Amino acid sequence: MSSRMEMQMMNEVQESSKCVKVLYMIWKFFACVFSHVTLISLVVAYCLLGGLAFQALEAPNEIKVRESISLLRTNVTGELWKMTLECNVLDQENWTREARGQLETFEKDLLQKMEREGWDGSEPEAELQWTFPGALFYSIIVITTIGYGHIAPRTAFGKVVTIFYAILGIPLMLLCLSSIGDVMASSFRFLYWKICCYVCTKPPRRRRGRNARGTIRQPGRYSNRTASLRRSVRVSQRSADSALGLSESVGRSSYSDMDYRYHLEGMDLATDFPSTRPSTMSRYSDIPVSSPKVKGGRLTTGTASLDRKVAVDPTEANRMPVYFNKYALDPEDETQNGQPSKVGSRKPDNLNVRDTVDEASRTNRACGTGSLPRNHHLAVESSNFRRQFSQPPPEIREPQASISTDVDSMKRSMRMRRAQSYYGPGRHQRHASPSTRYVSSIGYAVHRQNYVDDFDVDYDYYADDGALQVLKPVPIWLCVFLVVSYIFGGGFLFSTWEQWAFFDSAYFCFITLTTIGFGDFVPQGLAGKGSIALCSLYLLFGISLLAMSFNLVQEEVINNVKSLAKSLGIIKDEEGEEDEDD
Amino acid sequence: MERQASRRWRGSYRRRRKKPWAERLADWTRNFIAFLFSNVGIVCLVVGYAVAGAAIFYYIEGEMCQKTLNVTRNEIADKLWNYTSRVNIFSEQQWKLQVDIMLKEYQKDVVKEAKNGYKVKSMEWTYAGAFLYSLTVITTIGYGNISPRTAWGKVATIIYAIAGMPLFLLYLSNIGDILARSFKWTYARCCLCRCRRKPRRFEPPPPRTNVAPAGRDQWQMVKIHGGELETSSIEQGSSGDDDEGDEESEGSYDPQNVTVPITLCLTIMAGYVCGGGMLFSMWEGWGFLESSYFCFISLSTIGFGDYVPSDEIYSSKGISEFSFLFCSLYLMLGMAMIAMCFNLMQEEVIAKWRTLIRTLRHIFRCDR
Repeated sequence: MSSRMEMQMMNEVQESSKCVKVLYMIWKFFACVFSHVTLISLVVAYCLLGGLAFQALEAPNEIKVRESISLLRTNVTGELWKMTLECNVLDQENWTREARGQLETFEKDLLQKMEREGWDGSEPEAELQWTFPGALFYSIIVITTIGYGHIAPRTAFGKVVTIFYAILGIPLMLLCLSSIGDVMASSFRFLYWKICCYVCTKPPRRRRGRNARGTIRQPGRYSNRTASLRRSVRVSQRSADSALGLSESVGRSSYSDMDYRYHLEGMDLATDFPSTRPSTMSRYSDIPVSSPKVKGGRLTTGTASLDRKVAVDPTEANRMPVYFNKYALDPEDETQNGQPSKVGSRKPDNLNVRDTVDEASRTNRACGTGSLPRNHHLAVESSNFRRQFSQPPPEIREPQASISTDVDSMKRSMRMRRAQSYYGPGRHQRHASPSTRYVSSIGYAVHRQNYVDDFDVDYDYYADDGALQVLKPVPIWLCVFLVVSYIFGGGFLFSTWEQWAFFDSAYFCFITLTTIGFGDFVPQGLAGKGSIALCSLYLLFGISLLAMSFNLVQEEVINNVKSLAKSLGIIKDEEGEEDEDD
Repeated sequence: MERQASRRWRGSYRRRRKKPWAERLADWTRNFIAFLFSNVGIVCLVVGYAVAGAAIFYYIEGEMCQKTLNVTRNEIADKLWNYTSRVNIFSEQQWKLQVDIMLKEYQKDVVKEAKNGYKVKSMEWTYAGAFLYSLTVITTIGYGNISPRTAWGKVATIIYAIAGMPLFLLYLSNIGDILARSFKWTYARCCLCRCRRKPRRFEPPPPRTNVAPAGRDQWQMVKIHGGELETSSIEQGSSGDDDEGDEESEGSYDPQNVTVPITLCLTIMAGYVCGGGMLFSMWEGWGFLESSYFCFISLSTIGFGDYVPSDEIYSSKGISEFSFLFCSLYLMLGMAMIAMCFNLMQEEVIAKWRTLIRTLRHIFRCDR
């Protein structure tokens, strides 16, 4: 569950006593319990247990009900016989009328039996519903909250057991599904980027372009955000959790949801630096101390990566997406747009920065074009680094205003971080296979790390992480396409297994995967015994697939909706979270 | 969704043209949408959506009158008559055997019809039924006592569900949030007022460096008092360190920082289910266990459909509409309530988890 915690424990355990070792073992035990494999096997064992229990509870009752049906029928036959004997003259009209009356009561009784006592319409000698596979299927149906209702407990004890079984089982199932969904999401993301970067070069560019547009709008969107950002983090977190409370979006558990929210907010922090940053960061008393240090570190890494890039560039230059242009230039504009409204007093500084940036970029361009034979794209891209190189001059020039330079340097370090993190994936995209691995491993690690319930994470972590997360999303249409094709594939499978019409099967798959579960179509296992097992496999996998695609799509959808609402001005301060499920 | 999207698009488009009337219209739409997604609006939106769904489904499925069993019943009666009149020798054994076979066939027909939705009381696809149906779709309960028979009905169900379920989730999150806040407030006011002085003493959040010892000390201190106060006070201390920009720090003592103990949440949920059970057993003439079972199955969105509201009551026509309304009210409120409880429980669990980690760390530090 928390690898980081574990690491810490491990570090500490080296210099520890026996008691600590015991505690560490306990900790390991719990970590093991909540690991994926154990969780899954736990769920499987729980299902098996439920199957056994429900079979033991319900099977006798079912046999009894079926016997009562044949008893009912013999009664009707007896009645008819008596009636025939009693009437002396066999008049057709009378007789049929009487018989019809008898049949009507018989029919009513049958329906009553079906509705009240759960008779499934088969004879005593036919196979029971509450066999072990049936009961297993039932317990899966319960804990996934699908609830077809084709079999339901009829004894009072069975009902009580169902209630408690569900209380324990539903959260367990959710936990399991969300963990599977997480693993699937990260592996899918990995696969997607690997395939996309490796095999085809054109589609990625298009996608990247789209994503880039989505991200590039953000500074503008969030430019009028104020210090209430922190607040909205909390609020949105809570409402997300409550959205989680029920239904299938619970499927991805609280953890995944929360940390995605963190990603999102982290990204906000990363992108809306001009207005938010000063007000948020001013809470820290140690800004002057910390910022130059950060800056220095960033700067060196920036130059280092630049060197690498220069080495790589000439071969790959023609594949450079144009959006780097936007990245490089827009934030400056945004700085201008966002700044004056919020922090009027800092405007001069800001302008100053801009001037110097422009100046530096001009000089940089000159030297850049001079030093290397670059084409247009490269020149545009290098403006990323222009910003980084341009940081020192303003600070040197205006050392007198300490507070404002602090603010500035904060901004600058933010900007640098941005430039850097934007730069990263661009590089990844260029050299295909090794860097994809790098991205994915990083993404995975970061993702795992977010599971740690760490409450003293600083902003930098979020910022970097957010930028990383934002830059490698899987497109929404792909997820939607995956789910739709899964549904249709299931439709095809079920139409062969159960001899339903294709549309009915697809409808069945939809109703099942959304956990609505009407139960008007229920797999009967016509194609042999394995069918029900396959069906439960299908639906378990399908639900975790849904969880996965929720996982993948969520942040992007939230972003889009937020930006829509933002552009309309609906979201002002704390309504931000209200649209995000939409 | 589409409607909103188009409206948003229109709004932004008009705003770009910078005309006064367009601005006004854009403002108006903006306010309208903002209202729709506010707390009151979302309820109206969900109810309106369900009503619209009811109308749609009633229109699509309403004319699907059920095939009566009359035809088959008459056929069977005729067959029986034929057999009785044809066979001259009345051997009881023989006759009963034959009749049993015929009845078995008839039984099969009945079962088939029943699986296709034939009910003792033909009550489906009334307007109220359609309303309940659309509610069960968007809440993903899916009783299945009425389900669409036509292809168009199925398509409409799919589309309706795709659009409706996020809407309902939105509703749940909003209302659950509000309920959680108000419940916390009430809890803090009513149940914790006697210990109000105690949390206030810890009110200035301890600086970052010595968070763990502080939390630990407090934990030990409050442990003496025991009971429910313990967790809440722990949260008081622990919430100080992880977010210093806490949102509702309007006063010295903040009810929103209180966590409600899990037992209370569970009690509320159980109470709601049992209360619903009592009401439904009164309304529908079920046993108490059956009603509670029905409530649980509904609220957990399992929705077997073996018990369905207004099954019995429908025979007495007057109350039926009211029963539907009552049932849907119960469901909507109950699901928001459960969302609230999950909300509170989650906070509580997280708080407990943090204190656990903190104590663990403390132990390690001690040992070192």
